[in-house]
Amino acid sequence: MNKISRFMAAAISISMTAGLLMSCGSSATKGSTTASTNQSSAVEGETDSTTAAALDLSKEVELSLYVVSDRPAGQDVLDENLNKLLKEKMNTTLKTEWIAWSEYANKYPLLFSSGEVFDMAYAATWLNFAALARKGAFKSLDELWPTYAPKNFARQSETALQQATVDGHYYCVPTLLATYSAYGPIYRTDILEGTDWDGKMETIADYETYLQYVKDNTTLEPYDVYSSGSEMDDIFMYNNGLYALKGSTNDFLWIDPAEENPKIFTYYEYDKTADFLEMMNRWNQAGYFPKSALSDTDSSKVQNGVAASTLHNIDTYQSRFIEHPEWGFKFANFVSDVSNMSFTQDAMVISNTSENPERALALYDLITNDEEVYRAFMWGIEGTSYEIKDDQLSMLDLTTYPGSSMWAARTTEFNLPTYGSPADLQTWKDSFDQAIVDGEGSQKYRSFVLDISSIETEYAACQNVHQQYWWPLELGYTDPVSGLQEYKDKMEAAGIEKVIETLQTQLNDYLTAQKG
Amino acid sequence: MKQGFLHEIKKNHPLFIMLLPAVILVFVMSYIPMSGLVLAFKNYRFDKGVFGSDWNGLENFRYLFSSGTGWLITKNTILYNLLNLITSQALSIILAVIISEMRARLYKRVVQSVIFFPYFVSWVIVGTFVYNIFNYETGVMNNLLTALGKEKINVYALPAVWPWIICAFNAWKWSGYNSIIYIASITGIDEQCLEAAEIDGANIFQKIWYITFPSIKPTIITMLLLQVGRILRGDFEMFYQIVGNNGQLYNATDVIDTYVFRSLQQNSNMGMTAAATFYQSVLCFVIIIIVNALVKRADPDYALF
Repeated sequence: MNKISRFMAAAISISMTAGLLMSCGSSATKGSTTASTNQSSAVEGETDSTTAAALDLSKEVELSLYVVSDRPAGQDVLDENLNKLLKEKMNTTLKTEWIAWSEYANKYPLLFSSGEVFDMAYAATWLNFAALARKGAFKSLDELWPTYAPKNFARQSETALQQATVDGHYYCVPTLLATYSAYGPIYRTDILEGTDWDGKMETIADYETYLQYVKDNTTLEPYDVYSSGSEMDDIFMYNNGLYALKGSTNDFLWIDPAEENPKIFTYYEYDKTADFLEMMNRWNQAGYFPKSALSDTDSSKVQNGVAASTLHNIDTYQSRFIEHPEWGFKFANFVSDVSNMSFTQDAMVISNTSENPERALALYDLITNDEEVYRAFMWGIEGTSYEIKDDQLSMLDLTTYPGSSMWAARTTEFNLPTYGSPADLQTWKDSFDQAIVDGEGSQKYRSFVLDISSIETEYAACQNVHQQYWWPLELGYTDPVSGLQEYKDKMEAAGIEKVIETLQTQLNDYLTAQKG
Repeated sequence: MKQGFLHEIKKNHPLFIMLLPAVILVFVMSYIPMSGLVLAFKNYRFDKGVFGSDWNGLENFRYLFSSGTGWLITKNTILYNLLNLITSQALSIILAVIISEMRARLYKRVVQSVIFFPYFVSWVIVGTFVYNIFNYETGVMNNLLTALGKEKINVYALPAVWPWIICAFNAWKWSGYNSIIYIASITGIDEQCLEAAEIDGANIFQKIWYITFPSIKPTIITMLLLQVGRILRGDFEMFYQIVGNNGQLYNATDVIDTYVFRSLQQNSNMGMTAAATFYQSVLCFVIIIIVNALVKRADPDYALF
């Protein structure tokens, strides 16, 4: 017996030492790389640097960038072309790693916990940028960004800089491309030709008329709903001038930006919710969407000609229009107070494990400020993967060369509308630009980022209740009165009061800080 | 009489060497990752790492049980697994017996392949089947009902029928695959016993009842025990693909895995995820120890350990 336990003890101690060695391994490599960077800074005097802030470019560096998307078949050719250019301009090459759509939900957070050494990654509000930053996944850019990417830094708007700040530090480089919170129906008009439909689309009531016409005259599903839920609730609230605290759809907390000191509330505390639910119940009875839509996983019913209209943003309108010009898609904006979407909805972060953060930022500065590099990075090779026709961008082979998935690198100056875009696209965007004033209306709240770290349990529970009870309720699958009461009871049990209380304090602090 | 472990190694060293790769594999794949369970009690930060993050007690477990969902999903998980365990195993045994009794070789092969086939169909596709059978507007079932002059039924608004639908699809998918193990076990039965039974005048049912069943009993018990060990792990793919995001059905169909997935999808909190896994593992451990003890008491030969 004694021998067995001694054997066990030996085995355990061996395994533990192995564990220790493994964890030391990464820090050991880190040490050696700092040594090598020191070495290279010693030779700095010999070469004159081409980029700002005395970055030493004498040593060739391969940077790595993680993006979320499926790796396109023709990527190698484009990478080779880009790297030739980058090597020439700054003695750097870039290796892009792709996280496939099928596994991003698991793999993306693991990127930062695995200890893997890499430099840059795509980040976004929908990838939990703020929560990851708070948990220490990214390098702070307070000094690096203005020093090594000065041009990019100078071009960021005040709102964008605020949005990049988490707990007082910059953690990402937000996109330079302005996008808008405009949202509304994208609807086919070809199917109603020859009917007496007047084509008016300004209010939710107009949309309801449209849906009824589609129901009466075609076999299509009038309104596209599938398992990711309906967005009619968001539209209804936006239409009433309200702002979702999280800044994106499918939120359960709202404020009225018109108020001086807005109070956070949720659906059952809003007086128009009963009307809304009654309307949705009517839509359900009229058959504007399937009765089991929440179990339907088909997300392309509009593209495939199964559904006649969907609710989404102006970029989706552009895509739908280009795919089927013959279907006469149109768009209407139902958001009464349009603002810029958070600039961190597409952003670039530097990994905590990066060995060359300076070079990575310099590269990013180059991509976002040098049109030649920008085009090679975003679109590839002119004539092979893209063409410019009438100042519009035409991607030649979307399956082989769909273009870069580093959407964060897009800038308003270099971005071109896709070839075949609807004529009113720019008109819409210009009208939004005119309406938006920094620091007013919902634009004022775009930089507010929820910090749920102290209420994670309650917030997760509320989200869950929201999906379980509100989604079917919103679609009229459950009774509008008793269903709302049940939703309220469950939300209260999940701890909504604590959530609202905590976030209200944060919001008040935010407003005080803005005034000061 | 008892001799030391070293003596044992000396005597049987070829056997130990043969065992070594498996031991190393289990150690590396199953024991080392167990240290990650400390995450369940930590407030994980990326920069501090798994072992450096701060402890936060039972905080991570709180969300599982807040608002009373913890018991509901634990109950659902166990009941679904029990139901699935019984139906799919019983079906597999019956299938195995029937296939073994078949005499026509070609027919036997064809049947075996056909029932094995669902194993290769992914849940994503099964989810689409289910939707196309049961959806209200264009589903096969409602088309049939309309053709027969009956009222349409909105199955997606009737949570009570879903346990049976899920159970049926689970059995459809797994019984063919599981039956292979029983067929192998039946093939191993000594022909002489069956012949002797035949001479004694036993009919086919008596042969199955008195010879086949007792002979494959150890296999059945081992299979059951192995399945019991997974009783708190819901087949995530199955539930997720069949039910989708349909909140109306959650109370009837939510298992631990789907609940955790939904709650943490947007927050990616490693600690909470680890807490859920920890909870499942501990309960599984307790259950398997109890079941094994019961089996051991009934008949020590059949116990796993």
